[in-house]
Amino acid sequence: MFVRIGNFGGIVPSLVQNGQQQQQRGMATLKAISMRLKSVKNIQKITQSMKMVSAAKYARAERELKAVRPIGDGTKQFYDKAEIQGQPDVPQKLVIAMSSDRGLCGAVHTSVARYIRGELAKDEQNLKVVCVGDKSRLILQRIYGKNIILACNEIGRLPPTFIDASKLADAILKSEYKFSSGQIVYNKFKSVVSYTTSILPVFSLASVTAAPKLAVYDSLDDEVVQSYLEFSLASLLFYAMKEGACSEQSSRMTAMDNASKNAGEMIDKLTLTFNRTRQAVITRELIEIISGASAL
Amino acid sequence: MSAWRAAGLNYINYSNIAAKLLRQAVKSDIRADAMKRSDAHLKVTKWQDGKPIKESTF
Repeated sequence: MFVRIGNFGGIVPSLVQNGQQQQQRGMATLKAISMRLKSVKNIQKITQSMKMVSAAKYARAERELKAVRPIGDGTKQFYDKAEIQGQPDVPQKLVIAMSSDRGLCGAVHTSVARYIRGELAKDEQNLKVVCVGDKSRLILQRIYGKNIILACNEIGRLPPTFIDASKLADAILKSEYKFSSGQIVYNKFKSVVSYTTSILPVFSLASVTAAPKLAVYDSLDDEVVQSYLEFSLASLLFYAMKEGACSEQSSRMTAMDNASKNAGEMIDKLTLTFNRTRQAVITRELIEIISGASAL
Repeated sequence: MSAWRAAGLNYINYSNIAAKLLRQAVKSDIRADAMKRSDAHLKVTKWQDGKPIKESTF
């Protein structure tokens, strides 16, 4: 019986000791278990309510994502149809990490950061990073802090708007960094339980005008291409933000669901231990009283 | 070159100003909803050599 109690590392090891202290320690253990039980119950309450909140936010994010998908797909088509490629003589590249400020949502932020770390490991000199959301910045800052050119926060609390995306696009365009091609790394939402870390391409004006198949589009002058590129950058960012927000909420929902489940298991085990310890204390007291009485 | 680009705006600024005016012009029953999408919360900071540059918020 006492062996099982040892599972809860550190709380009740003193029970196996004998001697005078045993009863005292036994009582203290009982208190320790009940305190632990209380705290786990509180944690479960918190994770449960976080789950409810993110479930509501997820429902909204998914609804909005459905409306945004055509914007992203349409913008992506332009790059595919014109077969745009980065210029080989301009090696500078840009990576935009789409994460958010808030954690407790599984691996959404780490998987984005891991992809970017892989890219940075390949070519550290010619790659600059734009971090959207504190989480990706915190992960990348330590080793690749010098590669960060822009960092954004205050994202994730409220659903992203197009104005947010255009602010970021504006900042990227106005930064002095000249790049020929770039990628937006984001989590593409697949279903409530799954997302994939994907990339969206972005290109500079020079890369687009150099594209061989740009002629498939009719009546383009530089002005139109430039305006369209500016707008498409904002659209792609907006799309990636929405996908990311939806994946994040769904992932947080599952993470919190698991956390509540685990807390539930822990509560069950702790309750069992608590009751056993309580009974052991009562039994011991009875033995002491009875043996004391029979000794008289 | 169009007048707005000559004034130092890019297409994003230009279209956002146009969108702002459109939001103000729609009928009052849907204006409230449209207005909700009109603010930005994002804060953008420039970084250099692994440190943020203080007064560079966009």
